[in-house]
Amino acid sequence: MSFIDNLMMGLSMVANVGSFLALGTGVAVGVFAGAIPGMSATMAVALTLPFTFALQPITGILLLLGVYKGGIFGGSIPAILIKTPGTPASSATVLDGYPLAEMGQAGKALGMALWASCTADLISNLALILFAGFLASFALSFGPPEFFTLMLFSLTIIAGVSGESLLRGALSAMLGLLLATVGLDLIYGTNRFTFGNANLMGGLNFIAVLIGLFAIPEIIAMVWNPKVFDGQKRSMGKSWVSFADYRRCFKSIVRGSFIGVFLGAIPGIGAAPSAFLSYSEARRTSPNRDKFGKGELEGVAAAEAGNNGVAGATLIPLLALGIPGDVITAIIIGAFMIHGLQPGPMMFILNADIIYALFIGLIVSSVFLFFIGSVAIHGFKYVADIPRGVLFPAVLVLCIFGVFAVNNSIFDVGVMFAMGWVGYFMLRYRIPAAPFLIAFILGPLLEDNFRQAMLMSGSSPVILFRGPITWFFWALTVITVFAIIRAGIKATRRQGPLKVESQT
Amino acid sequence: MHDRTLHIQLGIGAIVAAAFLLLVAIPVWVSSPSNVPNIILSPLFWPWALAGLTGITGFGMILTSIRQPAATKPEVCDVDDAPKAWGRLASIAAVMAVTMLMLPRIGMVWTSMLVFAVTAFLVRTNHPRIALTSAVLVPLVLYAFFAHVAGVAVPQGDFVRLP
Repeated sequence: MSFIDNLMMGLSMVANVGSFLALGTGVAVGVFAGAIPGMSATMAVALTLPFTFALQPITGILLLLGVYKGGIFGGSIPAILIKTPGTPASSATVLDGYPLAEMGQAGKALGMALWASCTADLISNLALILFAGFLASFALSFGPPEFFTLMLFSLTIIAGVSGESLLRGALSAMLGLLLATVGLDLIYGTNRFTFGNANLMGGLNFIAVLIGLFAIPEIIAMVWNPKVFDGQKRSMGKSWVSFADYRRCFKSIVRGSFIGVFLGAIPGIGAAPSAFLSYSEARRTSPNRDKFGKGELEGVAAAEAGNNGVAGATLIPLLALGIPGDVITAIIIGAFMIHGLQPGPMMFILNADIIYALFIGLIVSSVFLFFIGSVAIHGFKYVADIPRGVLFPAVLVLCIFGVFAVNNSIFDVGVMFAMGWVGYFMLRYRIPAAPFLIAFILGPLLEDNFRQAMLMSGSSPVILFRGPITWFFWALTVITVFAIIRAGIKATRRQGPLKVESQT
Repeated sequence: MHDRTLHIQLGIGAIVAAAFLLLVAIPVWVSSPSNVPNIILSPLFWPWALAGLTGITGFGMILTSIRQPAATKPEVCDVDDAPKAWGRLASIAAVMAVTMLMLPRIGMVWTSMLVFAVTAFLVRTNHPRIALTSAVLVPLVLYAFFAHVAGVAVPQGDFVRLP
């Protein structure tokens, strides 16, 4: 069958009320679930899976894809409004989204998050349709040495989110990397900092650490000094995102989308590193780089583009090779199999109509996301109007329920509280939390891939320079580190006299 | 806190933490098989490397603080009544500790109601009636959602069980 035939067949499968209803419902459920801390997109997709059993294959899969896409965007709503990322993917959105909400521009931040998400989603879907084959073969050439160099380069993001002191950022990253070592060793299965506690053998729960680090310190800070927040309540702000704002951030959105597509096509990386890398690149190239971390709209746009750019691209290894790129696509591959479909190269031959129907459905899902996201923003805007004295205790209770729900574990609630105090200590000592989080995410990937590479080569470091991909990332890392050092020296020279003036 | 003081304190803290990791924590709490062919493959290698880097960062902080000018302005506390603020901080720590003890015993819903009410009191809410009403309603709504929609086995405790 020709391309046009396949396209028409696909269109006939999607262009019906059932498919549209499934997509719309999926996106709505995803946005709602993503907006509740602890109810990650993964959990929402897993909970929706049983509902697809009775549906037609394409309807069921579109329902799951809708939940996935809605969930990734939904996480940005609490990240912006209450500094509690609904999903790990939206942790980078907190950095500028929450300060914007504090300035009464929550509406603008949420609007930009939506616009950036939809744009990135569309680009990611188009990349899936146009480059699935190419990107899948490229992703297949990634082995442990390539992953290691990619992770090493990604760690240079830390410099971009360290704020006023690179050393404090480095200290924060060390703490994150150290906490990431907790659990059973991947290669030998021995204990590392588990203290004989079975709950620690799987490592620290990511959501518990994330919520503990961002949401709990705000509550403790309010308990320390309630007067600062006395009777304070924020509003969505009259300002809404304008086309001029969108145009200003467009470059960062497109760049973030491509970073998302690139990282999403590589199995096992996920949306959070992509969001941070996109944020860091936007900050590096933006003329407003000094405003990043203090409430810069471009920061929200870049972070959201980075994490939503992943959504369509994770389907590239899934559809082209039958390899799930992350946990969500692993659940979705289960849905394919339940309906007797086997994703992979043969599916493009045997079930080309379903593949094209999925492509069309994905494009339509971006439109659904835009409209349902707009409605959700207006629905959740009332959160911004709740007085702090009522909102913060509610957030604490929500965090307890949300963190417990991830693993049905009271221990995780304890981890969240402990991380809350770590986060508060960091807040008091002006240690940025973002490097901690990036290191905590990338740390295990960095270590595991390094040790796997060493195992492959019999401990010879030459393997880390084995091909053009590793050389490319080494070069990028060296250039970035050189640029960071140069910028640091320049800043020290510039700020030296100013600090003497301000402190005397 | 001034940058210089901050960096000295953090630098010393980082060096002490690194020394503790290298001398106590890693040897005691990280186990490694005896037949590891190369040190870089050992489960000990990464924690050692990170502990070393933490120490180096600490030294870096102290070195940069030496180059910074000494502060001449006195430290200003960010709260009016510091002892009361410390008391509130101790109270929220106690709330968290008690929460951990009460969750399996009286259940998540009742514990959350108490946590909500005490936290609202600690943050000196200007809307006590709304806070108290919310303290009852919010945990119930969350219970209904998580237990009946998301299918989470929310701890019920040993006393009053919810449907």
